[in-house]
Amino acid sequence: MNYWSAIEIKLKDQIALASQLLLFMLGSYVFILAEEHKLWKILVLFFGLIAWLFFRNKTKHPIIWIVFFVLLTIDLFYSYFWVANHHFMLVFMVLSVILFSYHKQSDILLKNIQLLLVIVLLASVMQKITSKQFMSGDFYYHAINLGGLFKFFFTIFPESLEIAKSNSESLTTLKELNPNLTEHIVLKDVFPNLSFVSRVFAWLTVIFEFLVAVAILWKPKKIGTHIIFIILLFGILFTRLETGFVSLLAISGLYLCKNIKLKLLYVLIILGCITLIITKFGYH
Amino acid sequence: MIKVKKEFILKYGVPSLAVIIVAIQLCLVHFQDLSRWKGGGFGMYTEIHYFYNQIHVSGMSVDSLIKDDPSMRSTLGYLMLMPNDKNIKKAAELVLKTTHKDSVYLQIWKPIVNSENGLYKKVLANEIHLKKSEL
Repeated sequence: MNYWSAIEIKLKDQIALASQLLLFMLGSYVFILAEEHKLWKILVLFFGLIAWLFFRNKTKHPIIWIVFFVLLTIDLFYSYFWVANHHFMLVFMVLSVILFSYHKQSDILLKNIQLLLVIVLLASVMQKITSKQFMSGDFYYHAINLGGLFKFFFTIFPESLEIAKSNSESLTTLKELNPNLTEHIVLKDVFPNLSFVSRVFAWLTVIFEFLVAVAILWKPKKIGTHIIFIILLFGILFTRLETGFVSLLAISGLYLCKNIKLKLLYVLIILGCITLIITKFGYH
Repeated sequence: MIKVKKEFILKYGVPSLAVIIVAIQLCLVHFQDLSRWKGGGFGMYTEIHYFYNQIHVSGMSVDSLIKDDPSMRSTLGYLMLMPNDKNIKKAAELVLKTTHKDSVYLQIWKPIVNSENGLYKKVLANEIHLKKSEL
C-alpha cells in the first residue's frame, strides 16, 4: 500500500476533510458539555439519533449537523455569558456548513469561513488595543507571574515555578482578607525583566494577529498567509494549551488551504488538538 | 437579481451575525461592565480574569452564603462577571432575603497590577448599601 498516495487522495478535497474534522471536534466538544442543561439535550439527542439512523439517506437535510447546531444553541440560550468564545465560532461554522449542504456552492462556504476567521482575529486585536491592562503589559505580567502562561517554561526552570507558586499563595491569602483593610502585595518576577518582556510581547501579539488577519482577508489561499497563520497557531499553543480554540482556527485554515503539505500540517494540528481535548490534557 | 441577492445574503449573512455578536459584546463591556473574557467578543486574555474579582459582604462570609445555594452562587457569579448596578442590586436583594437581616453592605473589588513595580492591589468596582425597607 502506498501510504503517501492514500494521504494525498484524502487531502485532495479539503472541504470534505475539514467538515469531517469539524464533526470530530463537535462530537468531542458536545460530549464534554453534554451534562449541562441535560433535560433538553436528552430529547434532542434521542430524537436526533432516531432521525439520523432511519432517515439520513432519505432526506436532503443534514440531520447530524442540525442536531449539533441545536445542542450548541441550547448551551448558548442557557449560558450565553458563560460559554467559551470559540463556542460562538463553532455555532457560526456549523451554520455555514448547514447552509452549504443546501446551496452546494463551495465559494460561498469558503467566503463564510474566510470572513469568520478575519472577524475573529480583528475582534481579538480590537479588544487588545482597547484594553489598557493588555497594552501596558500588565495582563501578561500578572498571568506569567502566577504561572498561568508558558507552563512548559516552568518545567525547565523549577526555581521560577517556586516563585509562581509563592505569588499564587500570596494572592490566595490576600483574597481571604477584608479588601477595605489591605493595601497591596508585591508580585515577585518569575523571570528577569518580565515587565519589559510583557510589554514587548503584548505589542508583538497585536501586530502579528493584525498581520495574519490582513493576510487572510487579502490573500486567503497564498502559502505565505498559511505559514504565518500556522506560526500564530503554534504561538497560541505554546502560550497556553487552548486546544479547543486552536483546533477551530486550524479547521478554518484547512478549508482555505490549497497546498498539500500545509493541509497535512493543519490535519496534524487538528488531530493533535482533538486528542488533547478528549484526554482533557488541553482545554476544550 | 434575486439570485444575486440570495448569493449576497449567503456569503455575508453568517459573518454579519458574527459582527453583530461582537458589537453587542463590546457595548456590554463598555456600558455594562461585562468582562472581556465572555460574551462572544473574542476578548479572552486581554485583561485579568474575572475569577480574581472579590465580593465582600460586610459581616458575612461569601463562602458560607454560596454553600448549598445554587441561586446565590449564580447571582454572585454574574456579579463577578458583570459588576454593574443592576447585578449588585440583585445580589444585595438576594442576600437580604436569604439572611433575613435588616440591611446589607456589599462591595465588589477588581484587581489591578503595575508591571513596573509588581504592585498588586484591589480597587473598588461597585458597592451598595441596601436596607430591607427599600425592597
